Amino acid sequence: MRRLALAAAVALLASVPWMGNETLVEFGINALLLATLAQAWNVIGGFTGYASFGNSVFYGLGTYGTAIAMAQLHLPFAAGLGLGAAMAAACALVLGVPILRLRGPYFAIATLGLSAAMAAIFSNLEIAGKNIGLILPLFRGERLFYELSLALLVATTATVAWVASSRFGAGLVAIRENEEAAQVMGVDTTRYKVAALAIAAVFSAVAGGIHAYWITFIDPASAFDSTLNVKMVIMAVFGGPGTVLGPVVGAFTLSAVSELLASRLSTVAAGFYGLVVVLAVVFMPRGLLDLGRGLRRDGWRYFAQNVRRYRL
Amino acid sequence: MRSTHTLLMAAALLLAGPVRAEDSITLGAAVQLTGALANTGRYYRDGYQLAVDQINAKGGVAVGGKKLRLALKLYDSQSDVNLGVRQYVQLVRQDKVNFLLGPFASNDALDDSSVAEKYQIPMVQGGGASSQIFSRGYRYVFGTLPPAEDYFASTIAALGKLTPKARTVALVSADDSFDVSVAKGTRQLVAAAGLELVVDKQYPEHNAEFSSILSLIKSKDPDVILWSGHEPQALNFIRQAKTLGVSPKLLYSFTVGVPTADFRKALGKDANYACGMTPWLPSKARRDDWFGDGEAFAAQYHQRFGYAPDYHAASAVADVEAFAKAIEAAGSLDPGKVRDALARVDFASLYGRVKFGANGQIAMPQTVIQIQDDKVVPIFTDTFVGKPLFPLPPWDKR
Amino acid sequence: MALLAQIVVNGVLLGGLYGLMGLGMGLVWGVLNIVNLAHGALIMLGGYAVYYLYTGAGVDPFAALPLAMLAMFALGYALQRWLLGLVIRSAQLNTLLVTFGLDVLLSYLAQLAFSADLRTINPPYAGSNFALGPVTVPLAPLAAFGVALLLAAGLQAFLVRSRTGRAIRATAQNLTAARLHGVNPKRVYALTFGLGAALAGAAGGLYGVVSQLTPYVGVTLTARSFVVAILGGLDNPLGVIAGGVVLGVAEAATALYLDPTYVNVISFGMLVVVLVLRPSRIFERA
Repeated sequence: MRRLALAAAVALLASVPWMGNETLVEFGINALLLATLAQAWNVIGGFTGYASFGNSVFYGLGTYGTAIAMAQLHLPFAAGLGLGAAMAAACALVLGVPILRLRGPYFAIATLGLSAAMAAIFSNLEIAGKNIGLILPLFRGERLFYELSLALLVATTATVAWVASSRFGAGLVAIRENEEAAQVMGVDTTRYKVAALAIAAVFSAVAGGIHAYWITFIDPASAFDSTLNVKMVIMAVFGGPGTVLGPVVGAFTLSAVSELLASRLSTVAAGFYGLVVVLAVVFMPRGLLDLGRGLRRDGWRYFAQNVRRYRL
Repeated sequence: MRSTHTLLMAAALLLAGPVRAEDSITLGAAVQLTGALANTGRYYRDGYQLAVDQINAKGGVAVGGKKLRLALKLYDSQSDVNLGVRQYVQLVRQDKVNFLLGPFASNDALDDSSVAEKYQIPMVQGGGASSQIFSRGYRYVFGTLPPAEDYFASTIAALGKLTPKARTVALVSADDSFDVSVAKGTRQLVAAAGLELVVDKQYPEHNAEFSSILSLIKSKDPDVILWSGHEPQALNFIRQAKTLGVSPKLLYSFTVGVPTADFRKALGKDANYACGMTPWLPSKARRDDWFGDGEAFAAQYHQRFGYAPDYHAASAVADVEAFAKAIEAAGSLDPGKVRDALARVDFASLYGRVKFGANGQIAMPQTVIQIQDDKVVPIFTDTFVGKPLFPLPPWDKR
Repeated sequence: MALLAQIVVNGVLLGGLYGLMGLGMGLVWGVLNIVNLAHGALIMLGGYAVYYLYTGAGVDPFAALPLAMLAMFALGYALQRWLLGLVIRSAQLNTLLVTFGLDVLLSYLAQLAFSADLRTINPPYAGSNFALGPVTVPLAPLAAFGVALLLAAGLQAFLVRSRTGRAIRATAQNLTAARLHGVNPKRVYALTFGLGAALAGAAGGLYGVVSQLTPYVGVTLTARSFVVAILGGLDNPLGVIAGGVVLGVAEAATALYLDPTYVNVISFGMLVVVLVLRPSRIFERA
């Protein structure tokens, strides 16, 4: 039943480009890529419990991999995606070991620093077009971009589903719950954590590559955008971190909210988005999926209970 | 499934877009009304709005024997380039606007104009001057800011005619698209004029700290400082120059800030002596079919919005007027025909002569201006039109 | 050589202000375990408070600092008591997200209230300087540096000597034990956040004097505050100022000898390296 519903949802999503509403397709590309990013973050942030603010580094490397391959080396798009994914994976493997020794907010801050430093490094690189960025060839294929993004999201979600049900995933959850205990139980924590980071890196990078080709112009500020990273985290946390579908639901919902705000309220949108985030965290700190269960169980009292449980 | 449900809801809401009335021509734009670039973005919002209203007040645009009204559809891109691109797609595909106006700043214009090219809807943008925008071989993108490379051309020409003669130059520029173009052009202009470049430093676009560059400049003691970047940075550069007592021997000039009221207000009397350039000044000599002339436009703008327009606003008006002219010439709202008509327009406006080159960019001389006694004074076009305060006195003698 | 001396002076003076920015962030982080992404927005608000006191009421910016700090203290107290206090016991990520939302909201409200115009706090002496041998010492940044030192020393004394200060430190080390000793955590947390906001407010006023204010300056200042708080350690106010000075000098030297475009590589690279190589430095709590 669940499988059937999922298959139907994917089929429905896949048919969107043929419904004749191109704004919806553009919105879809954006929402699908954001969902992919939230889902990739879920592997390291949700399952492993390492709140990464460096996933925008991987996204940015994917962006630049594609842009450098296409604009500078004149290689095809697929080669660009491969180059970006390889760069991101290498970065995760090399930097993962020292960075993943840090815990809690220190890990978060180190990854945040990494993303700021990376933007500055790329703005000095000749092959990356320095700070003025690179222009990719124009390609009129919105349907292809959409279907690619959808395929990527499905692949990412399938990977997360596999993680959730595998020994590997159990190891990650053990690390999240108590890293010392996991180590005692025989989990090779360093290898597990680095592997989780690398998985997140590859999917984020491919998302970055698709986005680069779609938007046609990239620069360090847009490639290594830390607010994008905050968005991934919010979407994953909003939906329900450490679950298989939560981040996707969170990403779709929040994308729709912010897009509607931007097109209906326009100038008020910026402030409203902040308010939505604040209220959402205060009243539903365990995400949308929990909200569904909570509302059925307790009705409106669910919100008051949340506040009571988590306040000082 | 909750996810499907959410998506369908979003889809339903997005599908219910407004329907365009048939007897009007809609121009669409996504402009930075909030966020880091809101400060300059408002010139485009207000310029577009005023031009649309004025053209309507004068009877609208004649197409095939019928007078059509102009309408404006504006989104706030929140200074977010990615959002801006999506809003342009929305303007084209959902709001079905007829034509596109641009955002502020070269980086935004680069991205947003690719939407125009992708959907083959003409865009006239008055906010991006970088050569990057016009070197892509795009056919549907036009620009009313003159090329960034030539921003300092008139300033350097003026220096050649002033005594004492300038010999050494410090060039300070930001690393974004527009300013890199400015720096590239300026290096050639400096060399061609036989001047020596003693400092050539690039700083990150959103940098606030100039003390190191200023100390370096002080140690080289150049005759001239040529500075390129965004307005907030120009402000900091001048303030920090004062606190460190750094002043060039003859003159300093800035690509931005000097023409805008906001800049002079924030700096007070420290803004005096700063030179800059503008392709536009509110002048009676610039005749306009809708506003009368540049001065009348400036007065009307100031009265309506409560602050004085600068060249950004005038450039925005020229964008709307270019469409009005091109649509009348094409006698049609067909994007391809209007595009061809845009490539051929040639008219006098309050902004100046609007005529696009083969790459889509306008060519216009820059007037050298200087702030004297809190007022912007035109100094030099190809001859002197005003008296410069020259050479620049050191800070303690001002 | 004169140039190097000048660069060091520039860097040190700027670093003092960086330090003050990091001070409030480090205090809140160390005691409440909240990484406050809205810290820059609080700095911005403090700046506007001083700006309006100066331009509107003619109060000298340095005399306006205590008033702005008081207002920011009240705001910070209220924010912690009635907003952040509601989520503080859920996952740490949640407090981070609330402060992010707060940052977006405050920046937006600031644009509504103050417009996107650039503002500078420009008293007559703002551009003054004096010569010290071959080095030019700018007056306003020097005064800002002095204020930063004074506030850091004051905070240090307050935390060590006063009853409330000891309660704050006890809470930072062990909430349960502090409760047992009769500390009311609601009050102590709100007080601490209020103090953090007041320090941010002071930093904002000084920043408006040496630089400029827009509703959106907050984001970059938050990032700087992070780096400083980490470099200086979270528990030692004077250490945080020292961290600011290290950052200021490193940035000034990078801008001169490398290029200003490398400044962020150095400062954020330093952050990562310090975190990775010397975690003990920050994990230690006094």
